[in-house]
Amino acid sequence: MKRILLSVFGVLAVAFAMLTPAFAQTKGTVYYLVPTLLDEFQTGSVSALETFLKQVGYEVKTLNADNKTDMQQSQMNDVIALKPAAIVLAAVDFNALKPSIEAAMAAGIPVVEFDRQITSTPSAFTSVAGTVEIGYIAAEQAEKLLTAKHGSPKGKILQILGDPGDPYTLDIQKGFEEKMAAFPDVKIISVPAMQWEASNAGTIAADQLVANPDIDLIFSHAAHLSVAVVAALEAAGKQPGDIMLMSSNGAPVGLDLIRKGWLNVEVEQPLYAQAAAVAAFMDKIVNKAEIAPGQYDIIGLDGTVTTEAWGPNIKLPGAAIDKSNVDDPKFWGNLKPPTDTVKSIE
Amino acid sequence: MTPRTRRTLEFILDNLVWFMLLAILAAFSLFIPNYFQLGIFANIIEASSVLGVMSIGLALVIIAGHMDLSVESVAALSAMTVGILFCSAGIGMGITLEPAWIMVPVSLFLGMLAGGIVGAINGFLIVKLRMNAFIVTLASYIWVRGIVLAVSGGRSAQDLAPAIRWFGIQRLLGLPLTAWIAIFCFVAFSFVMAKTPFGRHLIMIGGNENATYRAGIKVNRILVITFILAGAIAGLSGWLLAIRTSGATANLGTGMLFNAFAAVVIGGVSLKGGVGALPGVYAGVLLLSSINTAINLMGVQANFTQVIHGLLVLAAVLLDALKLRLRQKLA
Repeated sequence: MKRILLSVFGVLAVAFAMLTPAFAQTKGTVYYLVPTLLDEFQTGSVSALETFLKQVGYEVKTLNADNKTDMQQSQMNDVIALKPAAIVLAAVDFNALKPSIEAAMAAGIPVVEFDRQITSTPSAFTSVAGTVEIGYIAAEQAEKLLTAKHGSPKGKILQILGDPGDPYTLDIQKGFEEKMAAFPDVKIISVPAMQWEASNAGTIAADQLVANPDIDLIFSHAAHLSVAVVAALEAAGKQPGDIMLMSSNGAPVGLDLIRKGWLNVEVEQPLYAQAAAVAAFMDKIVNKAEIAPGQYDIIGLDGTVTTEAWGPNIKLPGAAIDKSNVDDPKFWGNLKPPTDTVKSIE
Repeated sequence: MTPRTRRTLEFILDNLVWFMLLAILAAFSLFIPNYFQLGIFANIIEASSVLGVMSIGLALVIIAGHMDLSVESVAALSAMTVGILFCSAGIGMGITLEPAWIMVPVSLFLGMLAGGIVGAINGFLIVKLRMNAFIVTLASYIWVRGIVLAVSGGRSAQDLAPAIRWFGIQRLLGLPLTAWIAIFCFVAFSFVMAKTPFGRHLIMIGGNENATYRAGIKVNRILVITFILAGAIAGLSGWLLAIRTSGATANLGTGMLFNAFAAVVIGGVSLKGGVGALPGVYAGVLLLSSINTAINLMGVQANFTQVIHGLLVLAAVLLDALKLRLRQKLA
């Protein structure tokens, strides 16, 4: 009995020690509902949003949904009850969160869609690079790489998706295959890496390289998958450049692979600009002021605000990173947050 | 039925999982283009190494009549420990030791130590405090993954020290050394289970814990050792995982627990305890790996792969259930 009580107190003491309350005078609290903390883009988005929103006077609290739609729905319900200044939502599921968004908006709490665009219901603001557009950029790069190798866009591409239950990867696939359909001589083999788990991607690459030794290009939907693909290539005795590699999201590991010569192209999502745009417009969002369409300079990137059926939407261009520009500090994968302070847009 | 026919039938039933593996390999080789080649079979064995080693620890605990849901997270913790210390990119600290080969035993020791500590905590709570193994190890599954996330901050460690990575690249008879490590573990622990008092006592405990205790065997001590072993072995599988992926990500190993359970059950280990042998578990792991490889090569739509995977595993488990029925009829 004594041992059990001691164990209970010990466990509770450790758990409570990790709860650190924040006391600060701010314009209000913004809740960021992040889909997962198991990839570098998402953890990067937490620190970027916290930094930029703090600069414009808001306190940020982050809730992680562990990639579970139901958990994110519960978080939305809980946060609505807390009446925050705004909710920034990167939805686990693009459609399932619709009722929760509507409930928050009806309660007068503005909902900002971050990174993952939800078009089925209006929200206060949307800041995205566009997942389908990431696929388009990847397709342009694939065309260039295959043309450089064969003289025209032809050959075989292994496309390693993320988890097939994640609309994010399916949208990139949609954009990529839509553009690549223009090149009938390109064969695309698509295989999902379940749960975005890196060793699954390694296994896929190892199997496909034996079954299809003529693969020209491997396109992984996240940089951390490319790390395992490179490990599989190394184990198969390949050298950098033997097979062309490309991945998306612009994570630090992807940029490291470019420097080492393994990865040809990384399609980056402009994480810093996406987060800075949310901060820059937050006063207008909270005060329910009009956000006028037009071009806006967001920490050096040209963002285009349009008024869509689902509300004001800023789209920031993704970029292709290769050896020539890999060290540019504007890429979030270099982990050098902008030194300029984000200012609220008047 | 003649004694000879009966012996043949019993032999087939005792090794049914191996025959299932052969049948599945033959079927995939016939119907899936590019499946039948040595490179693919080497891949199947190589891809089985991490899951295989993890399944050994899980099988030991299940044979002892308990449960360990923490092995997947423990493997991730071990991989992240090795990754943070010995990777040179990402969040890796890039620690180097001279001579370089020293990093191999040191990293292996630290990985297994991390696993062993979690196993010891599980063992203490389950055996000494008489708490339910399912709940305790479920909690460990969650908090250990939480530690991985907390220490990594969600970021990756990349570029494992070449001296350690060597095990994933160097090949012997066409197989990487990581696969040989897994095979060695299966041989060693099969010997331990079949030929040592520890193995026999473990089976006895799983069959009837009270009777074993009354026979004068130190049940509690053996159970605590088993949980520590399961943790350390999961740590070893994490070390292999870090080698295989040349680093560690916060979600590394996600989903392996269920595959490990499937492999153990297909391999003939009873979830009630007291029944099972490790060679069968290895066949179960190879069977799952063969199915995964088939799915990788079939080029089916992404949305359907989990359905196919699940149905093939279900078919394997149903065949195993059929085996048990036939075995009972023969008895």
